[in-house]
Amino acid sequence: MHSKQPKNDWQTAGMARRAKGWLAGSVTLGGMAAVLFVLHLTLLAGLVDDLTFKGASFAAEQHTLLLLLACLGGSLFLQWLADMAGTEAGLRIAAHVRRDALRHLFRAGPVGCTTLPAGRILTTLTEGVDALEPYFAQYIPRAAMMVVLPLLILAMVFHLDGWSFVILACTGPLIPVFMALVGYSAQSIMDRQWMQLVVLGSSFLDSLRGLSTLRLLGQTEASISRMAAATNAHRASTLSVMKIAFLTSAVLEFFSSLSIALVAVVFGARLLSATVDFRSAFLVLLLAPEYFMPLRAFSASYHARQNATAAAARLADLFALPEMTQPESQPRLTHTRNHPIAHLICSDLTAGYPGQAPAFQALSCTLSRGSLTVITGESGAGKTTFLRLILGFLQPSSGQITACDTTGAPLEVWQSHTAWVPQRPVMTMGSIADTLRLAKPNATDAELHAAAQQADALEFIEALPQGFATSVGERGACLSGGQIKRLALARALLSNPDILCLDEPTSDLDPASALRVAHAIRCCSANRIVLVATHHADMVALADQCLHISDGHGELFSAPQRACA
Amino acid sequence: MNLLTVSGLFTRALCWPVFFGLALACVAALANFGLLFLSGWLLAGAACAGAAGLAAQQAFNMMLPATGVRFFATLRIVTRYLERLVTHDASLRLTGRLRVWVYTKLAPLAPAGLTDKRGGDLLSRFVSDTDRVGQSYTETFIPFGRAILCGLAFALISGLFLKSAGLILALGLLVCTLPVLMSVGLLSAPRLRALTTQRGTFQAELADTLAGLGEYLTLGASEARIETLDSHQKTLQATERHLAALESGTRSLMTFIGLLTTLYVVMLAVRAFHQGTLSAPEIPMLALGCLAAFDVTQPLPAACQAFTRARIAAERLQTSCNAAPCVPAPTAPAPALHHLLDLIVRDISFRYPNTQHWVLEHASFTIHQGERVALVGSSGIGKSSLISLLSRFYPYQGGEITLGGQDLRHFSTEDLAKTLSVAAQDFHLFNGTIRDTLLLANPNADDTQMAEALSTVHLEEFVQHAPHGLDTLIGDEGLALSGGQARRLVLAQALLRNTPWLILDEPTEGLDQKTEYALMQGLISARPDATILCITHRRTLIPFMDRILTLAGGQICPAEEVP
Repeated sequence: MHSKQPKNDWQTAGMARRAKGWLAGSVTLGGMAAVLFVLHLTLLAGLVDDLTFKGASFAAEQHTLLLLLACLGGSLFLQWLADMAGTEAGLRIAAHVRRDALRHLFRAGPVGCTTLPAGRILTTLTEGVDALEPYFAQYIPRAAMMVVLPLLILAMVFHLDGWSFVILACTGPLIPVFMALVGYSAQSIMDRQWMQLVVLGSSFLDSLRGLSTLRLLGQTEASISRMAAATNAHRASTLSVMKIAFLTSAVLEFFSSLSIALVAVVFGARLLSATVDFRSAFLVLLLAPEYFMPLRAFSASYHARQNATAAAARLADLFALPEMTQPESQPRLTHTRNHPIAHLICSDLTAGYPGQAPAFQALSCTLSRGSLTVITGESGAGKTTFLRLILGFLQPSSGQITACDTTGAPLEVWQSHTAWVPQRPVMTMGSIADTLRLAKPNATDAELHAAAQQADALEFIEALPQGFATSVGERGACLSGGQIKRLALARALLSNPDILCLDEPTSDLDPASALRVAHAIRCCSANRIVLVATHHADMVALADQCLHISDGHGELFSAPQRACA
Repeated sequence: MNLLTVSGLFTRALCWPVFFGLALACVAALANFGLLFLSGWLLAGAACAGAAGLAAQQAFNMMLPATGVRFFATLRIVTRYLERLVTHDASLRLTGRLRVWVYTKLAPLAPAGLTDKRGGDLLSRFVSDTDRVGQSYTETFIPFGRAILCGLAFALISGLFLKSAGLILALGLLVCTLPVLMSVGLLSAPRLRALTTQRGTFQAELADTLAGLGEYLTLGASEARIETLDSHQKTLQATERHLAALESGTRSLMTFIGLLTTLYVVMLAVRAFHQGTLSAPEIPMLALGCLAAFDVTQPLPAACQAFTRARIAAERLQTSCNAAPCVPAPTAPAPALHHLLDLIVRDISFRYPNTQHWVLEHASFTIHQGERVALVGSSGIGKSSLISLLSRFYPYQGGEITLGGQDLRHFSTEDLAKTLSVAAQDFHLFNGTIRDTLLLANPNADDTQMAEALSTVHLEEFVQHAPHGLDTLIGDEGLALSGGQARRLVLAQALLRNTPWLILDEPTEGLDQKTEYALMQGLISARPDATILCITHRRTLIPFMDRILTLAGGQICPAEEVP
């Protein structure tokens, strides 16, 4: 049941493997573009030399000109293709990761997901995954280019001029060393100020989240000036870190400026004594800035790496959520159901959440087909926990639930015959029929009618202007609370479940709608096991039996003994 | 940036860092141009002199241009470093001002105006939007300002040597900057807007999925749901792909235009050389200068997209910030409350804005000063909504509420805070220390008062054993505390404020009966004269109360006396 993920699969390296073809393509195309680019510079140097010193006329250079334009055009086109391949890699990886993360969240289920705040899961899936894109689209191809292009240029310069080769070959490797040295000290300053930076950086969001609290505390005015002070402090401490961090790029700038100046001056002296030709001098001068360009592009995308690493850490948290549900069995609808579930036997159930006292202990009861059972008890007594056990969102810490069919034989897979109507049912965008068909995509119109009829929803659906084709609006905005509940009930009944669980089906409803929903539930309990967690007296009055949970113990009463209400 | 001008954010105080940043950016670009321009001349000049024989070699002054090259190199290093520092400083200043402005505007809207109906994270959006608008200075203003100013300077400098070359360079830069960017701007702007809505839809669908995780599972629809989200993601990524293609394509096009311009300039220079109006070393000089000039156009396609993004963000911020608060601020200063702070709720009706469902319908009740009243009712029935009404977070549509003989409509939330303390369930705990948290409730509280409040809520022992006592950090949203501890810390805040009214929402949840009993006893002996309205599900709290109000079906059921 617990599928093992390779441990580092959610590290960035593991993700890169998923689009290695595109990444390799990007780097190859980028390399080819670089070759053509260097070629175009060579041609340009030759052209300028010919025109200036060899007295060639512009017209005579037509072939070089065309070749030059073709080289640059080709290089730019290849570079564009390389960029697109990189982008594609980033997008593909993001799509993959998001899909896998969603699958894992479904495996963790509603209970497994409670360990992380819902907002955090959402931002990890949106902004977090988005942060991976530039890393794969830019950082990795640029990192590769940082090796390819300088080597190419060095090889070129080696052929042209020994002195320049020495200058470039010495400065090139020095840059990463110095950058690392400066970067290291920047990092240590950053580490020292990290807490402060994080607190100050998130203070705006924190204040926005707490705005209503601040208003209740009468601190609105004071908080505005605190806010101004915090943004100032954030600016000051960010800048003090940046002062050092920017030195890394200053080092880069220093070496690249220095080597251009050095090449120019060293060549100047030798040109004066006519020991080198102008063409190579000019070419080296053209090549020198390009030698450092990939490094600069790389250090500019350094942020992408930091963001991606942070995102990978948050994704790892998400993938570490425990898998609490059983994987969705694919043939659930085609499953042969010769004998429906007749009894659900809970024996000695103890359940709770990590780090908390168990919600209830040693709870035993038998629920039978054709009965409507209400679960009562104070808020937090364990009603929802019990439903979660039945639904398979939570596994009991001890004890077990067994199901047996009408012949008395125990069933292996029974949770797939369970349906649920939560307190706030999901209403997807689309028509009423679309919403109903979530439960059974291939349901016929007749099946929809039958289910709606059973749930007492047919009347209001048919009264709507477009019947089943009426749009439900965002989050069911066009429907009343009672209508949403009955629609959700109809949807739950569509797959003809043997066990039906409802969580507070009548809360939020006016008394008339509540009664209507309660009667609809009563009607559909004929051929199945129905469990309702409720406070509502009318609902309790309609039940066959009542499971009262209090102080960690559950007791089953039959209908006449409604003392439990 | 319409937002910056409209709201008067761009004040004199900001002028200095903003334009200083631009000036440094221009000097850095000019130094780069100068470095290559002069290097080109130096090489060609030296080559010419070298070829012309000994006399020319000796006449050639190597010192001056070599010094110039070194000067430009140094200038480029220093100005680029300073530029980054100054522009980031200016950008942070702008973001800071913008945040304060947005915050000031949003404060009266909370919480009604700050809830996202489609489940997206509206608040994080405010953060990223202010960031985006603040960064538009470094991402848009600097590249464009630099391209225009330096483009002119480059053309002028080239024009000094050869007029037509200067003109062609100016023309080339103009073609790069204006038509190319305009067309890209036109092509990418609708896509960027589409991207914003597509992102919103995707995020809302994702939020819906996370909220309905369990139901999708039991419906067997989880795979179908993943497919739906995947198709949303595909649309989103198609737009992103287009934008990336446009941006990268324009950059390539600009480089190509750069080379064409350079070749044209070289042609003109060669012609002028043959006519004798230009010396040979000036040909490579102009060519290199021309290539260097196009460096300033490279960041423009990205800047163009950043501009549209910032504009969308600015429009969004303006819409949110200029929304009318759902409870209008009282026009007159709050009237004085009469001595007996009785709360009289008469025939009140309430529903949330833009909904059909009445939460309260003709509800009436009275609470006299000094009474302790429990408010019970099943979950979701509207107890917390009632508290929101009493805090003036939402307007009521019918009926009348008076406190101390004055109509509640004459007060703002902040005015009422002097009389009421609310310990709500969804109370926000700010990232900071325990001391900060308590001082927020009452800035004048001293250590003894804090210790008293903490001991009343049974947190004294926890604080004593915490690593730094009162100065222990409670983490983001109080995550370093357990749920029960967080709730009791909120209760301590309410106690410290020492107001005549206390409104408590499930104050003892997560406590065992013995502690719960002790806590309630301590609370009542600490504030014997306080009027208390306490929402609770727990029967154990009822004995501490004088009366029970039951909320059901939008109405308050007849009050029953507690024996």
